[in-house]
Amino acid sequence: MSISLEHLYKSYGHEPVLTDFSDVVPDGSLTALLGPSGSGKSTLLKMIAGLESVDQGRVILHGRDVTTLPARHRNIGFCFQDYAPFYQLSVFENVAYGLRTRKVPKHQIQADVTELLELVHLGDFAHRYPRQLSGGQRQRMALARALAIKPDVLLLDEPFAALDAQVGAELRGWVRSLQHELGITTVLVTHNQAEAMEVADRVVIMNHGRIEQVGIPAEVYDQPANDFVRAFLGPTTTFEGQSVRPHDLLVARSGDGVAAVVRDVIRLGFEVRVVVAPASAETIWLQLTHDEAQQLDLQVGENVVIRRRN
Amino acid sequence: MLDTVSPPPSSATQPPRKGWLLWPFQTLARRTSQGVAVTFYSLVVLIPLAALFSSAFTHGWGFFWKAATAKEALAAYRLTITCSLLAALTNAVAGLGTAWVLVRDTFRGKAILNALIDLPFALPTVVAGVTFYTLYGPKSPVHLTLTGTWTGITVAIVFVTLPFTVRSVQPVIETMTFNAEAAAATLGASPWRVFRTITLPTLLPAILTGTGLAFARAMGEYGSVVFVSNNLPFRTEVASSYIYSLASAGDPVGAAATAVTMLVMALVVLIAVSVASRRLVKGS
Amino acid sequence: MGRSPRWLRLLVILYVGALIGVPLVFVFQRAFVHGAGALWSALHDSSMDAAIGLTIRVVLVALPVNTIVGVGAALWIVRRPSWVSRLVDRVIDVPLAISPIIIGLMLELAYNQSGWLGRPLAALGLTVLFSYPGIVLACMFVSLPLVTRQLIPLLREIGSHQEQTAASLGAGPVRIFLTITMRSILWATAYGVSLTLARVLGEYGAVLIVSGNITNLTQTLTLNIGANFESYNAYQGFVGAGVLATTSVVILLLLGVARHRERKRHEHLA
Repeated sequence: MSISLEHLYKSYGHEPVLTDFSDVVPDGSLTALLGPSGSGKSTLLKMIAGLESVDQGRVILHGRDVTTLPARHRNIGFCFQDYAPFYQLSVFENVAYGLRTRKVPKHQIQADVTELLELVHLGDFAHRYPRQLSGGQRQRMALARALAIKPDVLLLDEPFAALDAQVGAELRGWVRSLQHELGITTVLVTHNQAEAMEVADRVVIMNHGRIEQVGIPAEVYDQPANDFVRAFLGPTTTFEGQSVRPHDLLVARSGDGVAAVVRDVIRLGFEVRVVVAPASAETIWLQLTHDEAQQLDLQVGENVVIRRRN
Repeated sequence: MLDTVSPPPSSATQPPRKGWLLWPFQTLARRTSQGVAVTFYSLVVLIPLAALFSSAFTHGWGFFWKAATAKEALAAYRLTITCSLLAALTNAVAGLGTAWVLVRDTFRGKAILNALIDLPFALPTVVAGVTFYTLYGPKSPVHLTLTGTWTGITVAIVFVTLPFTVRSVQPVIETMTFNAEAAAATLGASPWRVFRTITLPTLLPAILTGTGLAFARAMGEYGSVVFVSNNLPFRTEVASSYIYSLASAGDPVGAAATAVTMLVMALVVLIAVSVASRRLVKGS
Repeated sequence: MGRSPRWLRLLVILYVGALIGVPLVFVFQRAFVHGAGALWSALHDSSMDAAIGLTIRVVLVALPVNTIVGVGAALWIVRRPSWVSRLVDRVIDVPLAISPIIIGLMLELAYNQSGWLGRPLAALGLTVLFSYPGIVLACMFVSLPLVTRQLIPLLREIGSHQEQTAASLGAGPVRIFLTITMRSILWATAYGVSLTLARVLGEYGAVLIVSGNITNLTQTLTLNIGANFESYNAYQGFVGAGVLATTSVVILLLLGVARHRERKRHEHLA
């Protein structure tokens, strides 16, 4: 089930939120919509779901124009950032909700829901209530609930934003393998670039309602289309008037390069940051590995030269 | 969460830096203010309450029971409870709808609507009473005659209790994020199903509380009801009217007995509502 | 379903308009039905004058006292919990739930010549019933919880960190209250005070019993309206009603402003 988004526009009053957004999400892929807050990515996700209206443009699911179709007929699974649990229903009933709405027979519901709860490792929690679950558990319940209706498309709105680093990291890996196993076309919204890089097959970088770049994670990181993308996806520093990655620079005691004085050496464990001040420009900082830094053994105040690697 | 973290330095736990000489006086002042508060509440609330109970049983249980279950009293209870219940239930539905519109809708004049809801709180009951009497009594400009009927009494009570149900549900709707409703929609539920299975259960505790308050208030209502009811004993005499008639006829003990009965009934209702709404919240 | 269905909006406007709007307009219509001249002389009718005067004098005492006590009680219950304050917290809503007739009866039983409070007071030469103090007492009773109920959840929510910071900077309790606490509770208190005013002005049943309803002496404006109506003096009654309806509208405006300002203060923090 591929998703085709054609020239989508949306404004809130006079505030444009999405401008001429077009993309095709391939069947079975996990696409991340990555961008800062206010870039329109959540709104776009809701437009795909049918939870927000479209001002202009079309939303096409597997060849079918669903632009004006209400959410409940689109057969998509949606997970909110706050998991939106049905607090007054048990975990079992939460997951069963979509099945009960479709009047699936009781024994089938029992089988399907039990299987799903096992899949998300919540088998023992069937009769607990959402209030009794941790954040990670509620997230898994929300996922199971969305998957229960066998959706054609899975939409996740900042699913890991509210979780502890540890729990979020575990869940990310688990979601990625689950998606691969099930093969459901998935779109994930996030503002966390590390998350997008780790989980997604392809990344759509958005800013102010427009697309900045589309590509596979390695591609957008190594060949950013512009300064915004470069700065958003990783650390940058300015060298010779250009924005470069701190780990793309080399420091040496002699040879070609820009002359500079060492201002600070900060040891962060594996990574060591060296701040240098070239004669005529603002300070540059480089990233060295622990071993490189140990070999060089730089002192503050030393004269060095900076050049690009490769 | 009640914030019970230690009070500022000038408390009884340690002498204050400045003015340490004043410390014993400050403790005295605190204990005195506690004493003053207790005295005030006793004088105004607790002692009169006790006097009522004591008076009701002046002639013992037997008299109390006879007065509380007198034929006229029973008729008054029946009328009061029926009309109050009807009015409370009507306003439960109306209050939900009104609060929904006030929170979720936007239109010119919404602020006026919001302000009008408080009018029954702000308007003296006697004003409401005489207005309703003129509005739908004899010589009514709209040719209604609801005075002296249970319907007329119920309408007056509906007026008086609307703010209770609206204002108890309104803040809950305001804090709803509607993500749960949206999730239910993506799972295939129709708007009515979403309302029935997701929205309503969330609002039910607040609706229950508001309806309970409305009912308790309705049972004791006097000023707005006494004019429209015509106060016919056994027919259109509400409980508070009956109590007043006993008191002014020189039967304070009978009046007290009936009053105590009414209080107990109101208490039972409030406790039941409190238990029920807590039961509902517990499950969620 | 969109934000809110159109048909619901129409239904609600009709319901509220018919139930609340129409009676409100009707009161003013009836008060002005004989024109402004008749209205003016009706307002200066001697018993009306006495009633208005008495009501004002009652408000002048009941309102400030209940405000101070209400704020003090809320601060006391939230910031200095003890078994006493917890008891008061439980009991505080009682006056709101009781019928005003029962309240009047309670006060009459406690303060009459042979009552538990009436007897000692009579020995001191003080009468409460059928006079000004009794009316003030009844009005205070019915409106006692109104300010406190607004402030207790608010004070709990605000927490005492700001006050503790001020104390660590050397401020004493009075200064803390005036410069820190009051600012955050101002509009909620204003809301409660407006409700108190409405209740004091509008009290009928309790005052009816406690005052004896003696024309020109112990008849508040509400009692005056009732008495006029019972003696088939409908117009005079509606003039009085018009006065109180006007104060009610003013109170509604006050409530609206207080609610709006309180919301602003709340959003400003979030």
